[in-house]
Amino acid sequence: MTILELKNVSKFFGGLAANTDISFSLEEGKIIGLIGPNGAGKTTLFNCITGFYPPSQGQILFKKQNITGLQPHQICRLGMARTWQKVRPLVKMSVLDNVMVGALCRTNSLKIAREIAMEQLKVVHIEHKTNMPAGGLPIGERKRLEIARILATNPELLLLDEVMGGLNTSESEEIIQLILETKSRGLTQMVIEHDMKAIMRISDRIVVLNSGEKLAEGTPAEIADNQEVIDAYLGESHA
Amino acid sequence: MNSPAKSAITKPPKSKAPPVTYLLATVALLSLLFAFPQIVDSPYTLHMMILIFLSIILGESWNILGGYTGQYSVGHAAYFGTGAYTTMMLMQYAQVPPWLGVWVGVAVAIIVALAIGSICFRLRGPYFVLASIAAAEIIRLTALNVKSFTNGAEGILATDIPPLKLGAILITDFSSKLPFYYTGLILVLLTILMTWLVQHSKLGYCLQAIREDQDAAHSLGINLTLHKNIALIISAAFTSTAGSFYAVYIGFIDPTSVLSLDMSVQIVLICIIGGIGTIFGPVAGAIILVPLSEALRSNMIAQGLFKAGLVGEESSIGIFLKDNLAHSHVLIYGILVVVVILFMPEGVLGFISKFVHGKTRRGVS
Ligand SMILES: Nc1ncnc2c1ncn2[C@@H]1O[C@H](COP(=O)(O)OP(=O)(O)OP(=O)(O)O)[C@@H](O)[C@H]1O
Ligand SMILES: [Mg+2]
Repeated sequence: MTILELKNVSKFFGGLAANTDISFSLEEGKIIGLIGPNGAGKTTLFNCITGFYPPSQGQILFKKQNITGLQPHQICRLGMARTWQKVRPLVKMSVLDNVMVGALCRTNSLKIAREIAMEQLKVVHIEHKTNMPAGGLPIGERKRLEIARILATNPELLLLDEVMGGLNTSESEEIIQLILETKSRGLTQMVIEHDMKAIMRISDRIVVLNSGEKLAEGTPAEIADNQEVIDAYLGESHA
Repeated sequence: MNSPAKSAITKPPKSKAPPVTYLLATVALLSLLFAFPQIVDSPYTLHMMILIFLSIILGESWNILGGYTGQYSVGHAAYFGTGAYTTMMLMQYAQVPPWLGVWVGVAVAIIVALAIGSICFRLRGPYFVLASIAAAEIIRLTALNVKSFTNGAEGILATDIPPLKLGAILITDFSSKLPFYYTGLILVLLTILMTWLVQHSKLGYCLQAIREDQDAAHSLGINLTLHKNIALIISAAFTSTAGSFYAVYIGFIDPTSVLSLDMSVQIVLICIIGGIGTIFGPVAGAIILVPLSEALRSNMIAQGLFKAGLVGEESSIGIFLKDNLAHSHVLIYGILVVVVILFMPEGVLGFISKFVHGKTRRGVS
């Protein structure tokens, strides 16, 4: 079953084409890696899909529904949630309150929201920091807070923008485990990542962007063998 | 061993019942406030109390939009003036009693708020602030220039007021401050209750999330436009009520006193000085600012210096102070405000709580 489908999506900033004519689709329950050099247009594509930028051209279908032009909060309600490359904790609110804000997307009861939030904090292993202001978390825990917060919105599709960026090996490994766990619960994930080893390991399929265009798409093995991808991004070491 | 993780989970959620001491202190304070006019009958003291009440209501109202939602409106005089003018004009020209006029004022203020919001909420940060100032100035200039309707710069003096009765009590008797004291006190309690309810509801979470990060809030399913407008409506409605209260209490309004930028800034300062985004910040701000500005205005500082013998009343410095200190009260007020903002960025309440927390933490470890 296709959960998300992009049809010829383009995004222009004045004369700059950040995304050009991008089409691909996501299978339910799978992990799709989105890779490409800096400035390739990965984050811009996330912003188009989640409603932060209206695409200049093209169509986006989520669960067969046309969501092009919907507002971010409407798209979140439909069951799609994203994290931010530059994390955006609600700094003065507590860690628990941050996740409760996500949970309140599905309930009007603070009590239920608090229970959901506690659950998700345990999933990402920061339940011991519940009452701390989110601004006081170190970067690794901030990234996990972002994941807890979107899990609390009860999404079917997660868009993760460099959730391992700036983390050390063991912190990254924890995130990888978290992503795999989330997959085992049947959720679909699209993951932007520069760490090639990690992305090759967790992805079912990979889409490669370069200068705003889709350069290639395929299984990790196919991508690792693709000469164009090697030339534009991977270099010889990963081939 | 009690691991931190375990203790955090087993700890009950933070809404625990207030300890008995808090409850008793609250009851005692409330009784004192209600009995106050029986104990102290100096009209000047009651006048000060009423001004403090007015400032608390204004501060709490602004706090909903500015403190909790992070939309720093510097144009709240628009809603204050709308309430004041609507109630005053209905009372003076149509003999509508103020406790009905106040509701019309609230309705008009909400319409004005939605019109202003539809423009200002397209903007963020400093652009929002500037737009809110401009919108309030438009309202002020309108009141100034539609003379046939508002009497322009001359303002409206309440003269032909019909006998206003509430039950058996005649309250057109403006010489007594009692009705205003109790009305003010009840409005204060209502606005504090309103703030408490907002803070302890889903709405409060959504508003604070918007304050902390609009894009993050939006991505978590919060409708930004809807929630900003809800906050604005609550804020404008209570500000307008304060405006109606002011108009009837003072008995005179003009564009300068109720619609000026000065008024808007005063409202913001109550919160900045006391502590933004907290329930009792505006209370602290009002208790500090009202007496301070009153003392400066009435030249109490120069008098104090003379009494303390620091400056001779007839010396050249003394004469200079006597002549100029009262005129420069706005300047001194401004300097004091800047000093507080520089040294207590979280407001007086934030400063105190940091101080207390710092002490207890050191005491424990
Ligand atoms: N709001 C914007 N206005 C103008 N140009 C933008 C905007 N957002 C992104 N761009 C430009 O679009 C291009 C793609 O940026 P984008 O952030 O999508 O890249 P990315 O693939 O996420 O890069 P990175 O790996 O560094 O995160 C860049 O040239 C960027 O400067
Ligand atoms: Mg990016």
